[in-house]
Amino acid sequence: MSLSNVLACLADSAAMALRADAAAVCLLDESGTRLSVAAVHGLPAELLDCAPQAIQLCALDREALTRRAAVVADAQHDPLELLGKDFRAGLCIPLVHEGHPVGTLHVYATVPERFCEDDVMVLRPLVDLGVTAIVATRAMAELEALEASQAQFIRMTTHELRSPVVVAQSLVRNVLAGYTGTLTDKQADVFTRISRRLDGLENLINDLLDLAAGKAPGQAKEGPVVLNASIGRVVLLLQPRAEDKSLKMTFQSCRDQLVVRGTEEGLDRIFVNVAGNAVKYTPPGGAVTISVQQVDGQAQVEVADTGIGIPEEALPHLFEEFYRAPNAKKAEVGTGLGLAIVKDLVERYGGRIQVKSTVGVGTTLIVTLPLLSTGAV
Amino acid sequence: MANERILIVHDDSDMVAALRLILNSAGYEVLDASSSQEGLQKIPELSPNLVILDATLEMASDPQVSLALRNPAPQSPYAAYRHIPILVLTPYHTTTSLRFGSDEAYLPVDDSVDMPIDPDLLLNKVRALMA
Repeated sequence: MSLSNVLACLADSAAMALRADAAAVCLLDESGTRLSVAAVHGLPAELLDCAPQAIQLCALDREALTRRAAVVADAQHDPLELLGKDFRAGLCIPLVHEGHPVGTLHVYATVPERFCEDDVMVLRPLVDLGVTAIVATRAMAELEALEASQAQFIRMTTHELRSPVVVAQSLVRNVLAGYTGTLTDKQADVFTRISRRLDGLENLINDLLDLAAGKAPGQAKEGPVVLNASIGRVVLLLQPRAEDKSLKMTFQSCRDQLVVRGTEEGLDRIFVNVAGNAVKYTPPGGAVTISVQQVDGQAQVEVADTGIGIPEEALPHLFEEFYRAPNAKKAEVGTGLGLAIVKDLVERYGGRIQVKSTVGVGTTLIVTLPLLSTGAV
Repeated sequence: MANERILIVHDDSDMVAALRLILNSAGYEVLDASSSQEGLQKIPELSPNLVILDATLEMASDPQVSLALRNPAPQSPYAAYRHIPILVLTPYHTTTSLRFGSDEAYLPVDDSVDMPIDPDLLLNKVRALMA
């Protein structure tokens, strides 16, 4: 729930509880010196756009914040200001969290002498709840901003980390390929080990980049994307790797164009990871089959391999960050971030992911996404 | 292949060294520029047979070498060099390479090689582009 929803709820409930004609919630800024209208009930919405007012100018609020609450019995006989000319009676209750003022709650009536000190007691539980909700939503927004800035930091640092690793690996490959002269067996062994460690480091950096990219806001807007096209691109990308390992890679596309919600990059990332794992963990001579179909009004992508399989005890942890199944650790270099990223993205697009696997036989991963529309290819 | 010139536009001298090792061994003359401005300045001077660009540098540069070189305007200062093949080095990580494929036409380049560089793959692509 956003802060504005919480505040609107508070204004509505306060007005209802006292059968008042109008209500408003004002919030103090960080410095605690300016008040702005944050929610209204029975008052013009334009009030929300007004510039913040210095607290010194808001007599009613100032009085409420210095005392327990401020009651205006009759506006005609009271020097205190009211938000609108249409109201004769008003009540202003301070919103305080652990001794710190957060804002004020205003309630208005067209009839004079409508409110009394007892009404403050009536509203007390509501006000307490409202204050808690305000503080909680503010804390949540701060956490989200922190997470976003952390993701941004990870992205920047990993980009910086990536380039030296890539350059070093390129140089090592030159040595291994004999471009700097013939190597002795011992030298070749040492350089092979260096190269393998650099591969591991590069994989980790790549996955961190993907993870950070997924969590950072301001990415491409989600919209309708053609699923078949994404799978086609992924198959093209992975085909050479499958051929290198003498794997039989089969792509069964469906006749209809399946349109799902997401971003092209996000979908590519999901299926490069899922199909990439199938290629990675299938021994030479095996098969990887990727199929796209429409099942029960949903789009379904199935990636089946004849690979090493996932042990049963590893299945519940498969989508945890940095988790790697014991047999996967032995077989290949990896980071355990790939599937965490996949799950994150699939769920963001409203879908789900299922795994079926038997050790030594193979694994089938099924990604199901809500179908927006279909059309002939 | 002798006397064929390759211009590398890259801001990392170690990467240039890695590329130079491979390309020199195959008999190519290798020249380099450390920025897109320098690269664009050197193209008319050197008239290379192939240009190798770094995707990250190219994306962050203004002007971009590939766009300037492939500018279709008849009065473009690079009109005479428009035919020079361009190979781009891509910072491969999961999906990025999909954005640089020749079908994608994202950057007007002829082919791409993922980093870290696989020496044999690089030479195959270089030969194919200059054939």
